[in-house]
Amino acid sequence: MLEGHAASENGRLAWITSGFPVEIPVAMGVGVNYPEQYGAVIGSQKVGPQICGFAEEMGYSQELCSYARSSIGAARYPEKSPLEGLPKPQALLACNNICGTVLRWYDAISEMTGAPVFLFDTPPTQGKQTPHHREYVRQSVMRLIDFLSTTFHTTFSEERLREVGNLSGKGIDLWTRCLKACRNRPSPLNCADRFLAMAPIVSLRGTELAVEFYQALLEEVEGRVAQGLGAIRDEKIRLLWDDIPPWFTIFRFFNGLAARGVVFPADTYTHAWSGSLSGADLVDSVVSVYSNVYLNKGLEAKVDKMCELIKEYSLDGFIMFSVRSCKRYSLGQLVSKELVMERTGVPGVVIEGDMVDSRLFNDAQIQTRIDALLEMFI
Amino acid sequence: MGIGLDVGSTTTKGVLVDLSRTILASALIPTGSSAPVAVRRVLEELSQASGKDLAGLPIVSTGYGRTSVEFTHEAVTEITCHSVGVHSLNADIRLLIDVGGQDSKVIKIGPNGRPTDFELNDKCSAGTGRFLEVMARVLEVSIDDLGPLALQSTSPCTISSTCTVFAESEVVGKIGTGVAPADIAAGAHSAMAAKVGALARRVGLTTPIGVTGGVALNSAFRHYLSKQLDSPLWIPEKPQLTGALGAAILATK
Repeated sequence: MLEGHAASENGRLAWITSGFPVEIPVAMGVGVNYPEQYGAVIGSQKVGPQICGFAEEMGYSQELCSYARSSIGAARYPEKSPLEGLPKPQALLACNNICGTVLRWYDAISEMTGAPVFLFDTPPTQGKQTPHHREYVRQSVMRLIDFLSTTFHTTFSEERLREVGNLSGKGIDLWTRCLKACRNRPSPLNCADRFLAMAPIVSLRGTELAVEFYQALLEEVEGRVAQGLGAIRDEKIRLLWDDIPPWFTIFRFFNGLAARGVVFPADTYTHAWSGSLSGADLVDSVVSVYSNVYLNKGLEAKVDKMCELIKEYSLDGFIMFSVRSCKRYSLGQLVSKELVMERTGVPGVVIEGDMVDSRLFNDAQIQTRIDALLEMFI
Repeated sequence: MGIGLDVGSTTTKGVLVDLSRTILASALIPTGSSAPVAVRRVLEELSQASGKDLAGLPIVSTGYGRTSVEFTHEAVTEITCHSVGVHSLNADIRLLIDVGGQDSKVIKIGPNGRPTDFELNDKCSAGTGRFLEVMARVLEVSIDDLGPLALQSTSPCTISSTCTVFAESEVVGKIGTGVAPADIAAGAHSAMAAKVGALARRVGLTTPIGVTGGVALNSAFRHYLSKQLDSPLWIPEKPQLTGALGAAILATK
């Protein structure tokens, strides 16, 4: 945040989406802030309805993503928002590999702040990515370098990108090892732990700080595994979590289940930051990593991912959180649920709600669904 | 002996069974504004009807108010309880549709009588008993007369089942244009059956299909749901009590 303010004051701050190839602006000396993470802050501060309400007063529909609504609402009334809003951006970097809403959302922020929008366009793929498709995304990388050079009066160096890419890769590798440690029984991390510990891999990717953070985390996690110390006291049921968490009740929700012996050794969300930049052709690597995130690859890729995690982490069942805001992530969950149940033989349940807007979260209904799932294990 | 208490949004049900799962007594009263009061009354009724002292007997509670029963030994969801209850009455049922006052659920029952998959209606009262209550009020008939009225229809009208509130204004509009009440009632039941049928298909149709919950008593709903699913339906004698029965059976274990 402080670095964001400093970058903003120096005219070098970009707002950026979570799936954007951040290594490029970082390598070019551009500071970045993440409105999606800021949305998580608004959610966990339990002020989602209020801040989203600011955007609704402006005419935005309650059907619009609550990250977008909270971001727009906070940009409208920073003084009434947590941390007094995000620092003013000089550019808005949107990559649509996570959803299409980001573009219109950043357009709205652009109207409010005057910062130009850059769209890093990664058309969705079903199956293998075709050569012309890769070439198209590659051109986006070139356009991005031009855009950043012009907007921030900076230059691109492949050597610097390699340095940042290496740091990014190191961070991702350490983070992945922390995640994989959860294959152990008992699992050293639970869902809320990972959702908090994932912050640096999203927002500090490509920096020394992130590497240091995950080195310390890995040490702690491996220490717990060696001592047989679980994230929860009495691990009985191991579940997979799908989708973004309800930030406004994250501890209450997962700790409540932990008290009943339910741990979540894996989730689809924190496993999404897993691709490292490598090889002789770094630009090609950017194309591969950022256009092949599973949200950009159709339902089958996500179903495969879920089945793989259930098997790899020895899970007994799964909970899919149908996030009203996040259509791209939640679309197809009912079908996915059937497919995953068929393929893995473990039961699952879909619960509904939202990650930021607590008005959409009905505790009694969710509890009944989860209780019924847990009763299946008795 | 064991006691099952099903504290639903509209009614509270109680069942007392012996170890051979024979029902010794049952009770059903409106939940009203206080679940604990309703629970006490149900227990009194069970005691009177059976002539037994119920003190110290194991109790399993279920329904949305399951955790509000202070002296329960265990709170179990209605999904598990309905499965167990229906399985004890008809072990062949593999798909159960339960339509209660404020929710509807579809449960796939395994050979052991336990649920293996389920779906509940989304955050909307369309597809629940509440929808029919609202329709009855607008048509100015009692809820018990709504089903028979619908079955008199020769030309059911089309009513949207997306939202109870919107359906209500739609019905008011139809009354205004002179559509016969029987046709409107038939349209309402058909819309509701379509909504519940879609939920059932989501879980996967497996015959024979059982239907429970208060709405199973409604003849028009049964007619349209059977048509919708293209299958005969099995209805227990007291479809509102299967949740409490399942809870009572679990209490004996």
